[in-house]
Amino acid sequence: MITICKNIYQYRELIQALAWKNIIVRYKQAYLGILWAVLKPVMLMTIFTVVRSFVGIETGDIPYPVLTFAALLPWIFFQESASEGVNSVTSNTALIKKIYFPREVFPLTAMMTKTVELTISFFILAVLMWHYQIVPNIYILWVPVIIFYTMLVALTISFFGAALNVYYRDVAQALPVALSLMMYGSPVMYPLSLVHKTLIEEQAAGEWSNTLYTLYTLNPLAGIIESFQSVVLKGIPPDFEVMYPGMILVAIFLPISYLFFKRAENWFADVI
Amino acid sequence: MSIIEVKHLTKEYQLGHRGSLKETALNALRRMSFQKVKVRERFKALDDVSFTIEEGEVVGIIGHNGAGKSTLLKHLANISKPTKGRVSVNGSVAPLIEVGAGVNPELTGRENIFLNGAILGIPKKIINRQLDEIIEFSELEQFIDTPVKRYSSGMTVKLGFSIATSMDADILIIDEVLAVGDLAFQRKCFDRMASLIDKQNKTVLLVSHNIRQVARMCTRTLLFDHGKILMDGKSVDVCNKFYEIENQLISENINKKSVAEIESDTVKINDITIVSESGAPIDTITTGEPLRINININILKPINKPEIVIGTHTTDFVYLTASSTDACNYKLGDLNKGGYKINFEHLYYPLKPGVYAVRIAFFDQNRNVLFSGENLIFFTVENKALESKEPPSRIINIPSKWDVNG
Repeated sequence: MITICKNIYQYRELIQALAWKNIIVRYKQAYLGILWAVLKPVMLMTIFTVVRSFVGIETGDIPYPVLTFAALLPWIFFQESASEGVNSVTSNTALIKKIYFPREVFPLTAMMTKTVELTISFFILAVLMWHYQIVPNIYILWVPVIIFYTMLVALTISFFGAALNVYYRDVAQALPVALSLMMYGSPVMYPLSLVHKTLIEEQAAGEWSNTLYTLYTLNPLAGIIESFQSVVLKGIPPDFEVMYPGMILVAIFLPISYLFFKRAENWFADVI
Repeated sequence: MSIIEVKHLTKEYQLGHRGSLKETALNALRRMSFQKVKVRERFKALDDVSFTIEEGEVVGIIGHNGAGKSTLLKHLANISKPTKGRVSVNGSVAPLIEVGAGVNPELTGRENIFLNGAILGIPKKIINRQLDEIIEFSELEQFIDTPVKRYSSGMTVKLGFSIATSMDADILIIDEVLAVGDLAFQRKCFDRMASLIDKQNKTVLLVSHNIRQVARMCTRTLLFDHGKILMDGKSVDVCNKFYEIENQLISENINKKSVAEIESDTVKINDITIVSESGAPIDTITTGEPLRINININILKPINKPEIVIGTHTTDFVYLTASSTDACNYKLGDLNKGGYKINFEHLYYPLKPGVYAVRIAFFDQNRNVLFSGENLIFFTVENKALESKEPPSRIINIPSKWDVNG
């Protein structure tokens, strides 16, 4: 952990330059430019809103479009950082075979690139909140912490996935499927309160209900999305009870994932 | 302390394709159940290599393809890790291994300067300060704000080289980069390398197939063969050794081929020999002595007013001598169908010791080539005296006189 922080500091210019390159290259010849980055959450929000109009999802007193957008924002950031991170090593074959620098620069760069796109999504969120006249309070200061935690979750997947992907390209193929499944297991389309109500209050799964709920919150994204909605839209502090299971999971797996990456790194140039 | 220290470096690669996920899983299962695992064949790219390089040394690395040169550089640049042994490098390394590795085609030249700078670890401040100099050196002022994908390949390499050499590293690793760009730019690169070497006292490792370049630029040379260091010493000696091996290989390869195979639809060479004064076949002459070549040919179609050219060249095709029937005012009549015997003689052959080859060409009256053959036969030139007494850098031995007065 200390080395990774040292490396980030030492190679910050490189990460900056590579992230900036990614963004320039991706949008240079696109007329809409970086606006494409926000198209995805906006489209999904629209689809979810249409679907909800005939499926009926209880969402409490917050307008559904802004609620689901506040869920999509951290979700898409996580999803794209993770998938971009997993592909980041294999897509830089030329550099890996020619020049040495710590290879964690690649997943970190992928995340940095997505952070820039995330910033733009925040503007859309601000517009939506203004439209629905939602005024955030002091708890909005939690946002950077929640985003940082999201980064750690994404890195846990990136490091392990990126290293494994060098050896087995199956990973990059399987990841989109896994991530889209994970979206349905996260409170993106529906609020967490609905899950809580079904499992804890109504005990819908009988004696398994409480265990199932804990299992559900093992998904770090459940806590992240719920907390993000809480601090931005509801103006209440994050619900730590939902966060803990996921946090423990990340605290265990992030170091393992990073060590795995560092060990595999030695053979990247030979195998890639 | 030495700036580069390599101890018992061994690098093995597995031959064949890396196993699939399924195979790996199966192997793991087999291992767990104590069954035999299929082991793939291994290949030693580097085999127990040890050497040290002191600060300020300029070292050339030569060898045939697959001798392990590039693998060694990858280890020095920390890109690959050794299977066995240790590599320690005490200083920053500027790897010019294929310049332009980090050049992105979508970005403009100027953007690429900053990106590549960051990749090579050059701080932004330094790049900013040197920006003008880099652009000027690359000769791309006009195109610097154009995306690199619109550049010619030569322009891309010029840009890459300009960026890479602006890096202030202790050790420069150069892999075949001087063989790029037009002649004028090559000259410029060469000068820049020379100034880096001489004035700034940098440690330089130069990998090249251009042996003449290595001999000229480096003080010390390592000769690699099949992953091992075959020879480590003064560049001149090592390069000579390399030529020796090279010549041997070439003549072995060619002499296997029977001369009779060489023919066009007008001329067929039956036999070609180097002979002594008495006419006995030889393969070695002494420098300064005559070179006598006897050739048996068959003319398959009659040739009117032909011209024959016979000459010699080095094994790497530097043409040394040529003599034609016309230039010698030899009255050669029309050649009719049938066999001919040519007795040719260079009155003296003054080249320095080495292996040389014979070439022959036939022309018709309109100077159209009817037959042209190179590497037809190889011969060795020896010195009268000890070669070690002779000054190393020369091609021709011309008898000389000395007079030094006080």
